[in-house]
Amino acid sequence: MSAVMSVETEDNGSETANASLKLALRNLEFFYGKHRALHGITFDVPPNSVTALIGPSGCGKSTLLRTINRIFELYPEQKATGEILLDGENILNASYSLAKLRSKVGMVFQKPTPFSLSIFENIAFPLRHYERLSKAEVQQRVELALTQAALWDEVKDKLNRSALALSGGQQQRLCIARTLVVNPEIVLLDEPTSALDPVSTAKIEQLVTEQTANFTFIIVTHNLQQAARIADRTAFMLDGDLVEVGARDQIFITPKDERTKAYVTGRFG
Amino acid sequence: MISVVQRRQIKNMIALVAATLATLFGLVWLVWILWTTLTKGAAALSPRLFTEMTPPPGSDGGLLNAFYGSALMILIAVVIGTPIGILAGTFLAERGRKSVLAEVIRFLNDILLSAPSIVLGLFIYELVVRPIGHFAGYAGGFALALILLPVVVRTTDEALRLVPHYLREAGLSLGLPEWKVILNIVYRSASTGIATGVLLAVARISGETAPLLFTALNNQFWTFDPRTPMANVPVVIFQYAMSPYDSWHKLAWAGAFVVTAFVLGLSITVRLVLRPRNFK
Repeated sequence: MSAVMSVETEDNGSETANASLKLALRNLEFFYGKHRALHGITFDVPPNSVTALIGPSGCGKSTLLRTINRIFELYPEQKATGEILLDGENILNASYSLAKLRSKVGMVFQKPTPFSLSIFENIAFPLRHYERLSKAEVQQRVELALTQAALWDEVKDKLNRSALALSGGQQQRLCIARTLVVNPEIVLLDEPTSALDPVSTAKIEQLVTEQTANFTFIIVTHNLQQAARIADRTAFMLDGDLVEVGARDQIFITPKDERTKAYVTGRFG
Repeated sequence: MISVVQRRQIKNMIALVAATLATLFGLVWLVWILWTTLTKGAAALSPRLFTEMTPPPGSDGGLLNAFYGSALMILIAVVIGTPIGILAGTFLAERGRKSVLAEVIRFLNDILLSAPSIVLGLFIYELVVRPIGHFAGYAGGFALALILLPVVVRTTDEALRLVPHYLREAGLSLGLPEWKVILNIVYRSASTGIATGVLLAVARISGETAPLLFTALNNQFWTFDPRTPMANVPVVIFQYAMSPYDSWHKLAWAGAFVVTAFVLGLSITVRLVLRPRNFK
């Protein structure tokens, strides 16, 4: 724990004032039944940044991500303790509304998850849930979201076709557009490119970089190059512990922990 | 000496021939049934079959009142059984994956699924026919609904469970309430499976005779009113086939052919039109 806290102090002073933090994890523990999968994770996420979670398979990266929008609550045997402060409010409190949380924290999954609707409806459907808009406004917002997700040019002539007919890479960008359209504050990306070809991957990485001005991203990735390319901050996890978190260059060039060094230089994982 | 490749080719050939023969064995009976009902009922297979009432012994006629009665009873069964079945199946799949209550319901549903249809007919007889004092078309509809219901519950449950869980997670992650996720996302992905279940259940009940003997009975005459005894194809076939009259025999064969062809057509429709789309 002390090692974790000590590395928290550097990095452009964002930890000093709570007000400048978007998200703060405090002593977060996670349980699959009796198995403790996260061991007191504490770290901060500044607004309008990209934070990459790296680490070997099974280290708890995805588990950590799944606590932030409380999607784990679908499974009664799973439980999280500790605090996750979103703008200072603990979202793990049962009194924190799930609907409100999920409107602020969007999530994109490893496998593309298009709904069996048209391309247009995939995006318009969640949008209409949140906002009462005219037809023209809906169209505008759908176009904006598809543009943000770098998909508009490819689908603008076939918006009424089934989303299931798109390629895997296009489906994943559609899912990103669907997440962005409701204007979340934080976007969780769970290995969003691991099933995709290099061109689609590059497009998604580029859109994440471009959209940092509008959103705060937290991305789980197995791909260290990807973390190095797009992350402002990187968190290295191992066996349920947060080993080290810091600015990208600190983790990749001057890691403080031997284990981090071993991982980023490819000696294990 | 035969090579490995040749040996495999020979084995492949044997398996292929055996599989083809087994398929043909199954198909032969179906074709035979269709052919027999077609040839024996050919004399009665005319437009009159669908425009005239069941005749008195010795004269010609059709099965219009029986077709109408059957259609109405199947409609009643579908209207009652489908919504209840889909809702129950939804509960089982969405809320009861691991609960004891759901397992008990699944077990009871399977018992209902395999209950002899004559028992269900007797049940409706006691519940409806005896209290009102006479046979009635709608009682037949109720009995058929009891047969259709467990089929729809089962297929809906299974179709919904085939929808990948990450689709629900994706919907819920957008902040959509559970009912919207089920209604707009999960049902859409499972619609083919659910529709298949309903159509197969309709195929299953369209030939049921035993439960209708105790409920709708039969009616020699035309009636729109489901509160009265009504003619229906299976019972008419039964009665006419047991009768000594040649013209009734022909009508029974013709009715049997129409029912068989209807069920076959429904099954083919299920396979062709509602072919399950592969969901990536």
